[in-house]
Amino acid sequence: MCDTCGCGVPGKAVSFRKHGEDHHHHGDGHTHSHDHDHPHDHTHDHRHDRTIAVEQDILGENNLLAQRNRGYFEAKNIFSINLVSSPGSGKTTLLEKTLTALKDTECAVIEGDQQTMNDADRVAATGVPVLQINTGNGCHLDADMIHTAYRELQLKNDSILFIENVGNLVCPALFDLGEDKRVVVISVTEGDDKPAKYPTIFDQADICIINKIDLLPYVQFDVEKCKQHALQVNHHLEFFELSATTGEGMDTWLKWLKDQISK
Amino acid sequence: MHEMSIAMNIVDIACKEAEKEGAPSISIIELDVGKLAGVMIDSLKFCYDSVCKGTLAENSKLLINEIVGRGQCIKCGSEFDIDSFMAICPTCESYEVEITQGRELKLKAVTVNE
Ligand SMILES: Nc1nc2c(ncn2[C@@H]2O[C@H](COP(=O)(O)OP(=O)(O)OP(=O)(O)O)[C@@H](O)[C@H]2O)c(=O)[nH]1
Ligand SMILES: [Mg+2]
Ligand SMILES: [Zn+2]
Ligand SMILES: [Zn+2]
Ligand SMILES: [Zn+2]
Ligand SMILES: [Zn+2]
Repeated sequence: MCDTCGCGVPGKAVSFRKHGEDHHHHGDGHTHSHDHDHPHDHTHDHRHDRTIAVEQDILGENNLLAQRNRGYFEAKNIFSINLVSSPGSGKTTLLEKTLTALKDTECAVIEGDQQTMNDADRVAATGVPVLQINTGNGCHLDADMIHTAYRELQLKNDSILFIENVGNLVCPALFDLGEDKRVVVISVTEGDDKPAKYPTIFDQADICIINKIDLLPYVQFDVEKCKQHALQVNHHLEFFELSATTGEGMDTWLKWLKDQISK
Repeated sequence: MHEMSIAMNIVDIACKEAEKEGAPSISIIELDVGKLAGVMIDSLKFCYDSVCKGTLAENSKLLINEIVGRGQCIKCGSEFDIDSFMAICPTCESYEVEITQGRELKLKAVTVNE
């Protein structure tokens, strides 16, 4: 187990469940195999060491699987979004409101949490197809999980796929899922120096949503300072400031989404 | 930090290479890890030994070459070392800096016994 965030062996305890289903499908545990159990009974009187040049990207397998997902989405004209944030910044609330407003657009959702069907149940209440991935101890989704999930969901052509990653501002940063856009959500209760403290996730994002702006009068959060920090990390970032609960600022976000699918 | 899944990938790749060569065991795995790769080297080392257990890499050594970050200013073109994503150009103070080095996360080489 990882001492930093408590994540355990990924791939092993992952389950996939649709809303209303009571049985789990278990992941095939990827291709990780650790039972290299070969007898070697040749005798040597001396040992030679030999160095093999490998030169392989350590995340190469995930990147390859992500490219496969990307190709599938492209072929079906699916616009896909990977929502990342620390726990509780409002990803599911934003999804509920977004899906309700996009009634005329085909959408589907993949939910990632370590445990529970809670977020999938909330999304299902909007009438949109949703699949819950429970990662067990795993602290991020990976491309292989997304592949399993969208095959179950049977995505429609010309649709939007929202992926809500496990609430964690560190681990999901390195795992490409094959998404078109990565959206990092930060809420104003988190402190405006978040982008400076967790730069990797901002470095890898395309969009930054600053959520819960209805709470600005009650907290010390300088929106401009937060954006400044985020832009220092990644000067390509685009921002949306909104409140998922009151609906303030949602129109610009929804317009952006609609522009993406009409492209 | 997901260093556990990273460690598993490393050992998987290394074991496959060693198997291809018919080697009975691995003595050293060598990595290039950029300072901006988003990987904590201490956690990675911590996970490594437990992941190696029961594989060809059991008791092997993990050798990590840390790669320093380099950036290039988009405004004025100058190149410089950086130690964070929040880099500022030392020449013109612009923060529009493209990271040119430091994101590496690569398995360089595997040393096997014969
Ligand atoms: N005031 C206010 N509260 C919000 C807003 N958006 C979400 N919340 C509240 O924040 C809490 C967490 O919201 P969720 O939508 O569950 O957050 P999440 O990011 O999906 O959380 P995890 O999936 O656990 O990581 C809930 O109590 C929401 O009602 C907002 O815009 N303003
Ligand atoms: Mg949620
Ligand atoms: Zn995995
Ligand atoms: Zn983690
Ligand atoms: Zn971890
Ligand atoms: Zn400059």
